[in-house]
Amino acid sequence: MSTTTSNLFAYRELIVALARKNIVVRYKQSYLGLLLAVLKPVMLMAIFTLVRSFIGIETDGTPYPILTFAALLPWIFFQESASEGVSSVTSNAALIKKIYFPREVFPLTAMVTKLVELTISFFILAGLMAYYQMMPTIYILWVPLIILYTMIIALTISFFGAAINVYYRDMSQLLPIALSLLMYGSPVIYPLSLVRKKLLDEQMAGDWSNQLYTLYTLNPLAGIIDSFQRVLLKGIPPDFNALLPGFILISVLLPISYLFFKRAENWFADII
Amino acid sequence: MPIIEVKHLTKEYNLGAVTGIKDSLRHTLAKIQGKDTWKRERFKALDDVNFTIEEGEVVGIIGHNGAGKSTLLKHLANITKPTRGEVIVRGSIAPLIEVGAGVNPELTGRENIFLNGAILGIPKKVIQSKLDEIIDFSELEQFIDTPVKRYSSGMTVKLGFSIATSMDAEILIVDEVLAVGDIAFQQKCIERMEKMIKNQGRTVLIVGHNIRQLERLCTRVMLMDHGAITNDGLPRKVCGLFFKQAQEKTFNRKEHTEGKITPQRDSGIISVNEVELFNSDGIKQNGTGLHEALTVKVTFSCTQDLERPEIVIGLHTADFVHVLSVSNALPDIRPSLVAGTHVVTCQLTDIPLRPFSYSLRVAFLDQHRQMLWYAENIIPVLITAGRYDITRLPEVGLIDVNANWAFDKEIATKKA
Repeated sequence: MSTTTSNLFAYRELIVALARKNIVVRYKQSYLGLLLAVLKPVMLMAIFTLVRSFIGIETDGTPYPILTFAALLPWIFFQESASEGVSSVTSNAALIKKIYFPREVFPLTAMVTKLVELTISFFILAGLMAYYQMMPTIYILWVPLIILYTMIIALTISFFGAAINVYYRDMSQLLPIALSLLMYGSPVIYPLSLVRKKLLDEQMAGDWSNQLYTLYTLNPLAGIIDSFQRVLLKGIPPDFNALLPGFILISVLLPISYLFFKRAENWFADII
Repeated sequence: MPIIEVKHLTKEYNLGAVTGIKDSLRHTLAKIQGKDTWKRERFKALDDVNFTIEEGEVVGIIGHNGAGKSTLLKHLANITKPTRGEVIVRGSIAPLIEVGAGVNPELTGRENIFLNGAILGIPKKVIQSKLDEIIDFSELEQFIDTPVKRYSSGMTVKLGFSIATSMDAEILIVDEVLAVGDIAFQQKCIERMEKMIKNQGRTVLIVGHNIRQLERLCTRVMLMDHGAITNDGLPRKVCGLFFKQAQEKTFNRKEHTEGKITPQRDSGIISVNEVELFNSDGIKQNGTGLHEALTVKVTFSCTQDLERPEIVIGLHTADFVHVLSVSNALPDIRPSLVAGTHVVTCQLTDIPLRPFSYSLRVAFLDQHRQMLWYAENIIPVLITAGRYDITRLPEVGLIDVNANWAFDKEIATKKA
């Protein structure tokens, strides 16, 4: 793991250059440019707000549009980073076959690329916060850490998925489907507080309620989205109980996923 | 300590496609149970390769297509891992494997310089300081801020070469990149390569098919065949051997033995039925001796009357250096021919070619020099030393001309 960190440093120029290339290539010859990156969260926010006006979702007093936008930000960042990360190795087949550098540069580059798009979305969020007259508190300092944690989760999926994808391209097709399903299992449309209330307070699922809640928070995105909303919108520290199960899961999976990637890496050039 | 060490390097590839997930799972399951049913055909791209390279050596790797040259370089550049054996490289490597691998068409030339620099591991500062030099060398000042997708293919490779060779690494790996761009730029590339090799004392590995270029650049050449190194030594010796092999291969080609001629260009007016060669004694033989006569007899038929056709007969080497050409237009012996079968003989009275094997080419042109029929590699022609002592002939050179020697004064020779 420490080698990744040192690689990250040694190859930072390469990662930056490749990320720059990704962004330039994606938005060159497009009139809207980087604004396209924020189109998705804004559109989804609009749709969710519309849907919510029919079905009603309790939000603990936070205005729903900004609540769901603050959920979409880390979610879309995660979803796209992971999707991009999984196909990052195969989409750079030409480089893989010609030049050696540690292959984890590709998933890492995918993360960095998406980070730029995330930054743009933050401006929209800031605008929304100004509109709802929400003042950021000191807890905003948690945001970089939460983003970093989100990147680590996306990397965990990327390492494993990218290596599989070299052998079986199904991976890059199936993952977006799986992730869009996972969105419903994450507190994007509804807040985590609602899940907590139903399961922990009202014990809706009977004896299984507590276990179900743990299972729900095993999805690291549950904790992340909730923390993100708390530190930004509510001005309170993250809920560590909601973060813990997912954190344990990722701590176990990341080394496995990374080792799997490094082992498979040796044959990338032959198979790709 | 050698800078590169390769020990018992073997690389096998599975033939055929990657199997579906079902097969994969089944075979993995079978493997776990200890009965390996997976018998996929395997291909040895490299077969127990051993060598060491010392610092400062310039090593060329030659061989036929599929001999394993590029696979070997891929192992040295750490792009792929050996099935068995070991590759030790002590030093930084700059792989110029196919120049322009990292050139992105959407980016401008300048952006690509920085991107490729990063890909090759050149620090941004170094690129910045060398930017002018790179742009200057690529001859693309005018287009440097234009997206590469609007470049011609020649411009793209020029850019790639300029970036790649600006890199400072201890070991340079070059695969088929020497000849890029037009002739003037090729010359520049070669000069730059030679400068890098000779002046800076780098270790260089070059793979290529342009044997003459390699012979010129390298201090040592390895010949590969079927994944193994069959010869390793002085460039001239190994390249000569390779040429010989190439000749033998052409000699044994089916088309020759069956006497069938396939023209490169054919207007349908002329068909060549037979080409025969005779030596100076008039004996039918695919070759002759140095400074002896060679007679070429071509039997052909034309479907229509031909007015004063021109016939060109020539010899070329295996790598298509056209060393000799004669035409009936020069002595102006070009009668008009009626439709039907004709025989033309041409005696080359004094073949000035060094002992080697060549190939025959024949061209038919009409009176306006429009190509009617053209074929290369028709029959192999073996030139022997003939009446000369082969050991006294110089080792290099294609053509032998008569020379008169003189020294400024009589040199007294000691009598034994």
